[in-house]
Amino acid sequence: MHLLLVEDDTELARQTSLWLGEAGHSCTWREKGGAALIALGTEAFDAVILDVGLPDMDGFTVVEQMRARGFGLPVLFLTARDNVTDRVRGLKAGGDDYVTKPFAVEELMARLEALQRRSGITPATSTRKLGQWTLDPVKRRLRHDSETVELQPREWMLLEVMLANEGRILTKKFLLEKVWDIQFDPGTNVVDAMICRLRRKIDAPGMPSQLQTVRGKGYVLQAVP
Amino acid sequence: MFSKLFPERMPSTWRLGLMLTLLMACSMTLCMTVAGWAMKQNLSSIARAVVLDDLGEYAVLYNRNGLKEIKDVFAAGGHENDQAVRITSSDGGVLFEQIPVAVAGYRWPDNAAANLQASQTLLITVEHDRREQQLLAGCQVLNDGNILWFGRTDAEDRAYVEHIRDDLWLAGLVSTLFMLLPLWWFVRHVLRPVQDMMKSTRKLAEGSTDARLLAPNAVPELKAFATAFNDGLDRIDALTAELQSANDNLAHELRTPLARIRGNLESYHDHTENAAARDAAARGMEEIDRAADLVRTILTTRAGEHKALKLHLETIDLRELLTHLHDLYKAAAEERGLMLSLVAPESRWVLLDRQRINQAVANLLDNAFAYTPRGGSVTLALSVNDEHHRILVRDTGPGLSTADLTSIWKRFTRGSAASAKTPGMGLGLSLVRAIATAHGGQTGCQNRDEAGAEFWIDLPAGDPLSAANGV
Repeated sequence: MHLLLVEDDTELARQTSLWLGEAGHSCTWREKGGAALIALGTEAFDAVILDVGLPDMDGFTVVEQMRARGFGLPVLFLTARDNVTDRVRGLKAGGDDYVTKPFAVEELMARLEALQRRSGITPATSTRKLGQWTLDPVKRRLRHDSETVELQPREWMLLEVMLANEGRILTKKFLLEKVWDIQFDPGTNVVDAMICRLRRKIDAPGMPSQLQTVRGKGYVLQAVP
Repeated sequence: MFSKLFPERMPSTWRLGLMLTLLMACSMTLCMTVAGWAMKQNLSSIARAVVLDDLGEYAVLYNRNGLKEIKDVFAAGGHENDQAVRITSSDGGVLFEQIPVAVAGYRWPDNAAANLQASQTLLITVEHDRREQQLLAGCQVLNDGNILWFGRTDAEDRAYVEHIRDDLWLAGLVSTLFMLLPLWWFVRHVLRPVQDMMKSTRKLAEGSTDARLLAPNAVPELKAFATAFNDGLDRIDALTAELQSANDNLAHELRTPLARIRGNLESYHDHTENAAARDAAARGMEEIDRAADLVRTILTTRAGEHKALKLHLETIDLRELLTHLHDLYKAAAEERGLMLSLVAPESRWVLLDRQRINQAVANLLDNAFAYTPRGGSVTLALSVNDEHHRILVRDTGPGLSTADLTSIWKRFTRGSAASAKTPGMGLGLSLVRAIATAHGGQTGCQNRDEAGAEFWIDLPAGDPLSAANGV
């Protein structure tokens, strides 16, 4: 992907472009909203990563002007504000997703990829096989020969999100938002407990777990062949 | 010293009034007693002089011309009504007697004069059988050996003393009334301003920080006190505002540096081959996430406390919201060996900020989970009445101490059952309250009879739009 990064914090911009590079994307960095609008006219981008607090105009205004000029590409907000109100305002202004600072690299990548899928660049090809299991999305259950495992709705949703981002470490924050639509981190280790439960259901006895916990980062689904 | 004289709750006005009246009564009584005694002394010496004087005059008249002269004097009239004259022979026989009605009825001590020499006088006080008035009687032996008696009652003196006493009472009463003028002054310029100040301080205590002491009619000392106090309050207000904005900016500005640090740590984590270093980086990231959460909680709580929390209102079924939370916490409850149950019999559609209310209820559940020992139970319940929808979280933990019940909703206050192992910084419940307040609701807690505590959030059942500061 070729991305436009609009961020006034130099260090954060350096890190982000480094990560994007490592993930195989290229990126152009602009510090201000005005400069970003100009860049949009001269280069073709696949998506925009946009900071809300910019020195010349806020990110919401940049998106509004972008949309007014007919640029339909996906926009991901990057912000220190995390009110639902701000989030709603960002989405209303024409943004597509919203990442709050501090954020994890993988979260940014997961969201970017989701945006990419949504905008139809690479159609999602979800493998409906997980280790020994065959997934049955209609009945929300796993099947292997004669054995079946029923999953509860949230467990299924969690598995789906993990599958869609297979091999990527997903943060607790990201999972809470995608699975439970909750934008805060409860003090109780609810996600951890749910992952454990799901792990017990999908892991084959004596085999290494397909759902790994990566300390400090989150959870990753590594399908065992 | 005087404070014990009065019942505890008696207002100062009454105390001062009573004290002044009592003092006046005492001083009046003292005045009357002393003045009465002095007047009596004075009048009695005057009376003795009058009796001796008249006795002498009548004796001269008698010695000059005998009894006839005395009779002529009385025949001429103009005799005082309270004075009596009589002449007796040496053996007690009455030769002449001029006794007006006012002086009648006294037993003259005729035998007292038996041992008197010629020209000698004697004064005797004689009581009446029925009257209060006394008779002061004097006697003198005349030249012919007969005895001259002169008597005078103290009726006039008594009337005089009574009269003076009445005047004194009147003067005392009037001066007591004047003495109450300072009381009026005290009430108007000291007591009432103090009461007004008390009302203002009570408002301050209740949390309205813009209340000030007002003392337009007070004495200068109280005015100076009010001004100094208000200046202090203004200063505290200014400092608080400054501190709050500094806090808010700090919290906001912290997020970007936190993001930078986290980013670098994450790069390090992903690129290092050293397991110990990777673990250290992972711990660092966990700490940063915790710090970011803390900053977020502080910002939300602060905004809620100052009615600046913007809500994203949606029409939500409270039962569904609680069912989702129940789902979210079920696995964690099982892991901790807790029984988590949901009691929400009916749907309730309410206009609220789903994320915020979720967060508030989740905070209550977090607390219940942290304090309830393995094997206990936690109940999430919805109860409704005409006034409010109550979201209840009950646990079977250690409950709350008396001190907890009032202070536990404050920021950075942790319950007495908290230990080093219990997570949290004491911000959770203040966040719950801030969110409830922003919705026009209230929070509360109590100990349950069966052991354990019960926390609740009351959301108004009326039109939530009018109460909440939504956008």
